Amino acid sequence: MPKNGMLIRITLALAAAAVVSTLAVAGAGAAPAKSSGGSLTGAGSSLIAPAVAVWSQLYKNATINYAAIGSGGGIAQISARNVDFGASDAPLTKSQGDGCHGCVQIPWALTATSPVVNVPGVAADKLRLTGTVLANIYLGNVTQWNDPAIKQLNPGLKLPNTKITPVHRSDGSGDTYVFTNYLSKVNKTWKSKVGCATSVSWPTGVGGNKNDGVAAIVRSTPGTIGYVSVAYTIANHLSLARLKNAAGQYVLPTINTIEASAQLVKSAKIPANNKISITNPPKSKEYEHAYPLATFTYVIVPQSSPKAVQLKAFVTWALGSRAQSSIKRLVFAPMPSVVVKKAKSTLATIHS
Amino acid sequence: MSTVGATGEAARRPFPGRRARLGDVLLQGVAGLAALGAFVLICLIAYKVVDGSRLSLSTFGLGFLRHVGWDPVHNRLGGASFLFGTAATSLGALLLATPLAFGIALYLTELAPRWIRGPVTALVETLAAIPSVVIGLWGVIVLGPVLRDHVMPALHSTLGFIPLLGTPSATGTGIFTATFVLTIMILPIVSSISCELFLGVPAELKEAALGLGATRWEMVRGVVVPYARGGVAAAMILGLGRAVGEAIAVAQVIGGVDNLVSWNLFNGGNTLAGKIALEFQSSTSSLETSSLFYLALILLVFSLVMNVFAQVVVRRVARRQGLVAR
Repeated sequence: MPKNGMLIRITLALAAAAVVSTLAVAGAGAAPAKSSGGSLTGAGSSLIAPAVAVWSQLYKNATINYAAIGSGGGIAQISARNVDFGASDAPLTKSQGDGCHGCVQIPWALTATSPVVNVPGVAADKLRLTGTVLANIYLGNVTQWNDPAIKQLNPGLKLPNTKITPVHRSDGSGDTYVFTNYLSKVNKTWKSKVGCATSVSWPTGVGGNKNDGVAAIVRSTPGTIGYVSVAYTIANHLSLARLKNAAGQYVLPTINTIEASAQLVKSAKIPANNKISITNPPKSKEYEHAYPLATFTYVIVPQSSPKAVQLKAFVTWALGSRAQSSIKRLVFAPMPSVVVKKAKSTLATIHS
Repeated sequence: MSTVGATGEAARRPFPGRRARLGDVLLQGVAGLAALGAFVLICLIAYKVVDGSRLSLSTFGLGFLRHVGWDPVHNRLGGASFLFGTAATSLGALLLATPLAFGIALYLTELAPRWIRGPVTALVETLAAIPSVVIGLWGVIVLGPVLRDHVMPALHSTLGFIPLLGTPSATGTGIFTATFVLTIMILPIVSSISCELFLGVPAELKEAALGLGATRWEMVRGVVVPYARGGVAAAMILGLGRAVGEAIAVAQVIGGVDNLVSWNLFNGGNTLAGKIALEFQSSTSSLETSSLFYLALILLVFSLVMNVFAQVVVRRVARRQGLVAR
């Protein structure tokens, strides 16, 4: 039968494809193998991934293997105890917390998600937006870039008569959590109609897969608005939108403005489960320069684990000033000391 | 059928009446176990998928198939938009890929000079080895913008009266782009199988046709195509199976719109496989996880129906030709 030749060739082609894709996956570091000896394996948030990459270079006491499979995936992996730690940008929900059987979440880095825009004729980082207008754009109520609502905020800009295309994450994501958390706080319709979660039912717009998917669409499409982790905006040369905070200032995400939002935890008491939301800090002199879309991101560890000693050592190190300042260039702001203190006291409760 | 049966029987027991040797027994056992393994694996997968989707099945029932939208915040989940996306993209890709693949196969087997044949065959098969995530990335960055800037506006302005070709997508992503990407992905499968089928046409028949004065086109139309028809149908179904199951490349270019079933192919959408790939890792509730299993169940049933359909088609065509199923 002539079929044999074809079968062999198809098998070879498939085998080649399998090998190439395995290599690609291995190259991306997404092989959450069981760790042994002096190594710790983690998985989860892609927002924290660049920071963990820097840390794993600096940290000498153990090898850190981290797979950026997304916050939800990280929670699933640590719930199944396939990894030593998980990482998530959204705090655990009630059912996730129950499903993880005695996990604790510890804030270990501070960064932000930021709206990025591609508006023809408008210089980079010049467009001003408010939370309300942002919500109305994503609700489909504001559909043109020269809408009076946007014009009013940007008297000096020449806004084109271009249709607005809102871009969102099509995968479940911590960035989506922060973004919808903020929109829920500033817009009642958003809160009741859409809500806040790692993936929501978007009233309008198109999706992009992961941060780079959204970045690629926004960069190549005039008229789009999206949201990506701050670290990605730098790498991708995207134009940011200035967001109006409650104090009335238009701010960009920088170390200083993110750090300013985090001052909110000083006045608010940190709950036992460490769930902290610092989006949209209230109107006050103290938060004059606060960026309203800042977020803590969490490491999730089992309260009882055979790797408890190593985990404690690594997370304590990550909370230290050397580790925290090493990721400043990725726009991770140093965490307030009160948060670090609380994180360390939670960390003290884990045992082998 | 009878001749094949007789030779098969003879091969299995080379010396009738004698006791089977150890090697024969081992061969029978090992091969049998391998076949059983495949069967058990399918059963386990099917069991796991049905078991996983139980909660969603009891909550939504068959209404899940009709509900458009995916709202995990308010627990309103449905599979209609994904079913539509899967059907539209995979059938569209098949429609585009089949004539192309047919052309490639005919050219390579009947028309191309010998020195072209090898390199081009290798290239077409290399296409199958490109990881889907790479094709997806290329789809977002290169193909999408090109389709958006040149192809979609042209189609809309000339054939815009067809509801399928409505207002072009602003971003270059959407059902149309996903269909294109899938076309590229199933092309090598359909074309290389077609190639082998055409090569399988007995040379005597072709030479006889040429000898009777048929032109090359008449020979292809009169001998090659009818002879290979059943196999080509099977090749198409294989390609369709690949298109239906593709997740990553599609997820990157389809636009991730879950609450839309629209005639305009330039709009965004999502597919069953794409939604599972995008959402499974980050599902936040047991009902959502279960509903993703439900989507997998739909996909499984869809593939099963298609496979059976393919078998029936191939067998019927083969019987009409008086041949045993290939």
